[in-house]
Amino acid sequence: MPDNIIEIEHVSKRFGRVVALDDVNLTVKQGEVLVIIGPSGSGKSTLLRCINHLEAVDSGHIVVDGIPLTQAENIDKVRAEVGMVFQLFNLFPHLTALENVTLAQRVVRKRSQEEAERIAHELLAKVGIPEKANAYPAQLSGGQQQRVAIARALAMQPKIMMFDEPTSALDPEMIKEVLDVMLDLAEEGMTMVVVSHEMGFVKAAAHRIAFMCDGHILEEATPEGLLTECKEERTKQFLSEILI
Amino acid sequence: MTSDRIIRETKTLLPAQEAEARPLLQRFDRWWLLFAGVLLMVFLLVTRRPDPYRRIVVFLEDGIRVTLGITVVSFLFILLAGLVGGLGRISKNPLINGIASIYVEVVRGVPLLVQLLFIYYASPIVIRGVGKKLVDVWPAVAELLINIKLNPFVAAVGGLTICYGAYMSEIVRAGIESIPKGQMEAARSLGMSYFQAMRYIILPQAVRVILPPVGNEFVALLKDSSLVSVVAVADMTRRGREFMASTFLALETWMMVALLYLVMTLFFARVVAYIERKMSFAR
Repeated sequence: MPDNIIEIEHVSKRFGRVVALDDVNLTVKQGEVLVIIGPSGSGKSTLLRCINHLEAVDSGHIVVDGIPLTQAENIDKVRAEVGMVFQLFNLFPHLTALENVTLAQRVVRKRSQEEAERIAHELLAKVGIPEKANAYPAQLSGGQQQRVAIARALAMQPKIMMFDEPTSALDPEMIKEVLDVMLDLAEEGMTMVVVSHEMGFVKAAAHRIAFMCDGHILEEATPEGLLTECKEERTKQFLSEILI
Repeated sequence: MTSDRIIRETKTLLPAQEAEARPLLQRFDRWWLLFAGVLLMVFLLVTRRPDPYRRIVVFLEDGIRVTLGITVVSFLFILLAGLVGGLGRISKNPLINGIASIYVEVVRGVPLLVQLLFIYYASPIVIRGVGKKLVDVWPAVAELLINIKLNPFVAAVGGLTICYGAYMSEIVRAGIESIPKGQMEAARSLGMSYFQAMRYIILPQAVRVILPPVGNEFVALLKDSSLVSVVAVADMTRRGREFMASTFLALETWMMVALLYLVMTLFFARVVAYIERKMSFAR
């Protein structure tokens, strides 16, 4: 099945006695925008982190872009195809915004300094902060830092972008500038897996929504039918809480 | 907007820039006073009372060179040992981690003086013993081992490296562990390998964190290098003992030796503080 870019089959993961993922099955199609919602501790972040192997699964299979993660000879190759944006940005504080975006291009993609910088300048313009290229992360606002982080991930020209609560550490007035960048990406047809409770983004960009609870994917729905399609009591309760 | 920017830029002023901005007079702090005082005392003693102080300094001169040489050479090896040991201590591989942990725990539990004595006097016996066992298996290497003669300088550098390498490993480990986990995750998620992430992301940040303790180690090493005088290295301390043995001027000799150590340690402590200031960055 070439159009399924991520396939997750019977994946389980536990941390000590805590079951983080319990027999999760999920597929993501090429060009699809999937939003995962659910209460905290339900395993959303763990699922994302398993997809690029920041966490190893205990059992089950994950296939990304046709490469099974468990058998991948070079996990770094898979990771370079999957961009990841973190809740706390995780920019490299000792490097400027430009260097944050160029470093992995040079050492992983083996691009020349000039080419990497050209791509970095393009991407910083794309996320709306071309003038901040020489600023250090500490000199940027949260929203600007997160946009640099998105540019850094995009510089690897990934086939999939994953966002782990990209706006939940931001002040309200900065959320929009990050969501706008994400909406642009979705419109360009990027395959995206997003953990977020930003209902504005969900309505505007999501193709599909998965609701996670206690390590399971409880149900899936389309954004239009979010309130009508959901049958589980737990989902309805959660939605009523976040949709005030 | 403008005032906002000014505030932010003021906050991120690097300490180095702050220092440049301070008036010249304030930069002559108590350290300068002490350093100048010690230098003046050495100078006065040597010029006003050339007998015996000038004689002592002349006699100690090559000892000073040996002390500095041993300290600098050892320190380079110690940095290397600390990096390898520190990476070993955080390794998830149980074998590597186990070896690094045993090394650190054993070495930290044995006094430096005992380690130096062991290396100089006892380890050649061990090496010769190994050589004798290898005679049939590998004659060429066996002969080399049996005829080994430990150069005092090599023994001193080896002993200091093994001992201080263990402490340095712990400093490096603590420095690496002080960098948030998200940094490694971000680097790995971009496709960098573990060692690429270490080299480009973790270590450059860790170096800034560990610079103060590493600098302290250098100054401590300079002082502890006096212990190598027991393994036939003619460092400053040993030269002092030789001078005292021939002249019986205990007070004059050891006062001058102490003053010269103080000049060196004060000087290097200041150099370390200077490098620290230059390398700090706005977080």
